[in-house]
Amino acid sequence: MKSKKIITLALAAAMVSVSALSVSAASLTNSQADGKTEVQAHISGSTTGNVTYKITIPDKVTFEPLSRPETSGTDSYKTAEYAVSLDEVSNLGADEQISVYVKDQNASVNDDQNFYIANVSNSNIKFKYQVFDVPKAQVREAVSINANPMTKAAGYYLAGFTAVDDRVDGTLVINEAQLWNNNYTLSDIVGDYSGYMVFYSAVEKK
Amino acid sequence: MDNKKTNTIQRIIIIILILIIIAGATVSVIMILGSGKNEENKPSKGVVGVITDSWDPDVSSTADSNGEQQKGIQIPGYSRAEMNEGDTSLKLSVGNPKENSVGFIATVRLGDGTVLYTSPVLKPGQGLEEIPLEKTLPKGTYDAEVYFQCVMLDEEHTPLNSAESGFQLIVN
Repeated sequence: MKSKKIITLALAAAMVSVSALSVSAASLTNSQADGKTEVQAHISGSTTGNVTYKITIPDKVTFEPLSRPETSGTDSYKTAEYAVSLDEVSNLGADEQISVYVKDQNASVNDDQNFYIANVSNSNIKFKYQVFDVPKAQVREAVSINANPMTKAAGYYLAGFTAVDDRVDGTLVINEAQLWNNNYTLSDIVGDYSGYMVFYSAVEKK
Repeated sequence: MDNKKTNTIQRIIIIILILIIIAGATVSVIMILGSGKNEENKPSKGVVGVITDSWDPDVSSTADSNGEQQKGIQIPGYSRAEMNEGDTSLKLSVGNPKENSVGFIATVRLGDGTVLYTSPVLKPGQGLEEIPLEKTLPKGTYDAEVYFQCVMLDEEHTPLNSAESGFQLIVN
C-alpha cells in the first residue's frame, strides 16, 4: 500500500517537472507577457527586411538625334517614351500604395530641379527636358510632372501603384530650340549627350 | 526483512524524485534566462556580408510568371526593417533580381545621407540577406533607403538610370 502511494507521488512529481519544461520551451519563442506575441512575431518576420515589392524602371531613355531648328526661337520637339510598372507586391495594406517619384540625378529641393541631358565631353553644355506621365499621343493635352516646384527630396510624384501590372507609360520631351544657345557654336554642341533619372519608391499611405 | 526492503526502495525513489525535480527546475531556469538574454541583445553574426549567387526573394504568389522577357530594370522594394541598438548588422534582403541584365551597386543609407553599407557590383542573381553596418545606431525610427546604382556589365560599369527604395528602419 505504501509502495503504491510512493509510486503515485513519484508520477505526480515527474508530471510537474515535465510541465515546467513545456512553459519554458514556449517562452523561447515568445515574450512571456501574452499569448499574442507569437503571431505578432510571425507577421513581423514575414515583412521585416524582406523584399515586399518589385518595380521596373527604364534602364535608359534615348532621344532620337537632335538637330538645331533652322531659325532661332522656333520650337521643335523630340520625344522619347518610357515605362514604369509594379511587377510584384505582397502585404500591401488596403490604405497603402507603392508611391513612385522621379528626379534628375543632380536635382535637389533647394537647388536646380530640372531634368537635363549633358554633353558627354563637356558637361557644362546641357539641355533641359520635360517629363510627362502620359504616352506620346496625349502629351499635347497634358502638363509635365515637373511643371511645378519639386517639394520632396524623393523627386516629382509620378504614380501610386496598388496592384501588380499597374504601370505608367510616360514621355520625355525636349525642345530643340534650346540648341540655339548664344554661348555655344554649333561645333561646340555637337556630340553625344546623356542624363540620368533616379526613381524613388516607397510604401506610403494613399 | 520486508519492512527494511520497503524502506530502501522508498529512499531510492525519493532520491530519484528529488533529482528529477532539481534537474527540471535547473533546465527551466537556464532556458528562461537564455530566452531573456536573446530578446535583449541579439548577436550580430551569421551570414553577415555574405554575397550569394542565388539571391531570389519570393515576393508574392501574384508574380507574373508568363515567361515574358522583362524590359528595363527590376528594383526590389521594402516596407521596413528592424534591428537592435548596438547591432553591427541588419537583416535586409539586398540584391539584384536574376531577371535583370545590368549590375547593381547597392548603398544602404539613412535619409540624412549617412551611409550604412555599400556593396560591390552585384550581378543578376547576386545578393545578401544580412548586411554588415559601417556604424551602429541608437534607438529610434529612421527614414532609410537602398540606393541602387545601376550599371552596365561592361568593364567601365557604364552608369544607367538609378533607383532608391525607401523604407522605415526601426532600432529597438
